[in-house]
Amino acid sequence: MENADVVIVGSGAAGSLFAANLAQKGKRVVILEAGPERAMGDLLSSQIWSRRLKWGGPPTDSAGKDPLSVNFASGWGTGGSAMHHYANWFRLHPEDFEMKTRFERGLDWPFSYDELRPFYDRIQTEVGISGDAKKEVWRPAGAPYPMPPLQSFAQGQLIARGFEKLGLRTSPLPMAINSVPYKGRAACVYDGWCDAGCPTSALANPLALYLPQALQAGAAIRHRSFVTRVLTGTAGNRVTGVEYFDAEGRRQVQEASVVVLAAYAFQIPRLLLNSRPGGLANSSGLVGRYMMGHAGGNVFGLFKEDTQNYLGMTGGQLLSQENYAKDPAKGFLAASQWMIGNALKPNDLLGIVNARPELFGKELHDFLRTAGKHLATMTFLGEALPNPDNRLVLTSGKDPYGFPLARVTHDFGPDDIQCFDAGMKQGQEIFKAAGAYEVWAGGRVRIHTMGGAIMGRSPETSVTNGYGQAHDVPNLFLAGSSLFPTSGGVNPTFTIHALALRSVEYLIRNWPDFTVKASAA
Amino acid sequence: MTSAEDSPAREQSRRELLARMGTGLVAITVDTAFGQLTPGRARASGAPLRNLDAGEGRTLEVLGNVLLPGAAEAGIAHFVDDQLSRENPLLLLKYLDFTTAYPDFYKQGLRGLERASQARFETSFPNLEPGQKTELVRAMSQRNPPGWTGPPAPLFFFVIRNDAVDVCYGTPQGFEKLGIPYMAHILPPQKW
Repeated sequence: MENADVVIVGSGAAGSLFAANLAQKGKRVVILEAGPERAMGDLLSSQIWSRRLKWGGPPTDSAGKDPLSVNFASGWGTGGSAMHHYANWFRLHPEDFEMKTRFERGLDWPFSYDELRPFYDRIQTEVGISGDAKKEVWRPAGAPYPMPPLQSFAQGQLIARGFEKLGLRTSPLPMAINSVPYKGRAACVYDGWCDAGCPTSALANPLALYLPQALQAGAAIRHRSFVTRVLTGTAGNRVTGVEYFDAEGRRQVQEASVVVLAAYAFQIPRLLLNSRPGGLANSSGLVGRYMMGHAGGNVFGLFKEDTQNYLGMTGGQLLSQENYAKDPAKGFLAASQWMIGNALKPNDLLGIVNARPELFGKELHDFLRTAGKHLATMTFLGEALPNPDNRLVLTSGKDPYGFPLARVTHDFGPDDIQCFDAGMKQGQEIFKAAGAYEVWAGGRVRIHTMGGAIMGRSPETSVTNGYGQAHDVPNLFLAGSSLFPTSGGVNPTFTIHALALRSVEYLIRNWPDFTVKASAA
Repeated sequence: MTSAEDSPAREQSRRELLARMGTGLVAITVDTAFGQLTPGRARASGAPLRNLDAGEGRTLEVLGNVLLPGAAEAGIAHFVDDQLSRENPLLLLKYLDFTTAYPDFYKQGLRGLERASQARFETSFPNLEPGQKTELVRAMSQRNPPGWTGPPAPLFFFVIRNDAVDVCYGTPQGFEKLGIPYMAHILPPQKW
């Protein structure tokens, strides 16, 4: 197989951005995607069919008091998990980068918000975000959004009434979904099928943006190519390519000067641990540690009014970050936010049916009929402090290719739980103030996945440097939320893009170093 | 903040988009072992199950009807049975990170229900009186009832309840029954 300049594992948010930028600079890029090929026309409007987009590969055993969501969060096929992400795009706040310095808790990132800010700004212009920066009073410094906010509907407006009565502010939700046509992509039509994958290109998934750019610039993508190991030279401190199994189950090797691991957060540590005894890039012993998920949940209410909950975006309509500031005086250290007015469908894990998971029989029919017109909800997202004992390890189980499977163990800490409990209490007060005639809170769930191969300043305390470059293996780059040393209280995808842009530009800027040294590996 | 007072314009925009994409509003069908049938039609036509045996299918239908009356007629057993043959099943079970093989999850759970029914009422679950069925299902929604074996009973309750809602309300026809506009970008096939 012909050598590549760069082989990228994973075609999701970070992998597609890396591929586009590298291919546009003339690099020979090969993307290996574990799942099947999909096009926009495959994104059927159905919660049942949408399950195809979620992880369908070898299982990961999820354990602990608060087991992370593996299959629901991960992607399967072209575009990875970004194909079913809701496009709620937030910046981390400055304090999220300096937890250790400011609060003597958690970890620091290897750079400050100011370092990442220009990359947030550039991605925002390139991809397009709809929002209202002035109304988002909590927002870190940055360029205004390039598009006006998306529409709000009855559900969001009813809930906002409750926030207002309690003196809490809301703003339009910043979303990588077009409110108006933008750079040749269509505007959103508010049909609420974001979770099933948006086929209209209004939502910035990889098929709408970076993958077409990558392929047009000459990158190749191979589907059903399951990478099992990163290969190293004799000295073991440089990578030479990857081993993978193709659609027919045949072992293949793709050699390359640089390897970029841009798989989902469960697969990157598993792949590193499987690549050599003791794990590749693991002199710190931290590969697989600091796995994090946000502590999330929903508050629900029934209103006399028609909430039009079928309209809008899965991720919601409005935002409140009134609780974002990390203040130890609260009794816990954690940021959080509300995403208000999520578009709903009757079935599926996040469907109306599971707003009241105890109901069955005629009561369930009755609830679905009532809730279809009168239910409203908002989603709480709370920070989880990094904990090295939240960890992914290999098990004795084997995947179809004979490589060890993984188990990930995750417990929330006291701060995470107190933050969540305070949020659920506040959320119910907000719904009562909004006029809901019945109010309740759902259970605590794990949203998003971060950590497992964190970045940092020191090889002793992190796996990569601030560019995602492995401390131990200079021509190995990691990309995606695996790198996050802290979770913040916001959805990760905007930050994944900003980090990836910063990393790929570093790689391009220093390309001669990689080609010369790689040939000597 | 803009509001949603322009629904006709929005609807027109959506239709235009669908037309541009060439997808229209025509449902798609695919070949299956039942021919091109919905699960409900497959059941009505007497199509045999391939993964569950007849007894398991019967128990699943009866449980489905307790959880959501109408689930049996909507084809819950045929839906589940068909998906169990797929490489990447479209069952909600997928989201629960349960590592047991999917057919085993269903077979063991149905066996557990039968054992719990025998332990409590000395009668097979499908033959229980309506009130007894409700009592046992309520018990399994909270903890493993006496005699239960297999996956955790509350998990089994959760999964089958969601399967029932999938076949009854997870389709354009189901949305219509609830008075919820479907508003597809691309309509799914009528057969899963």
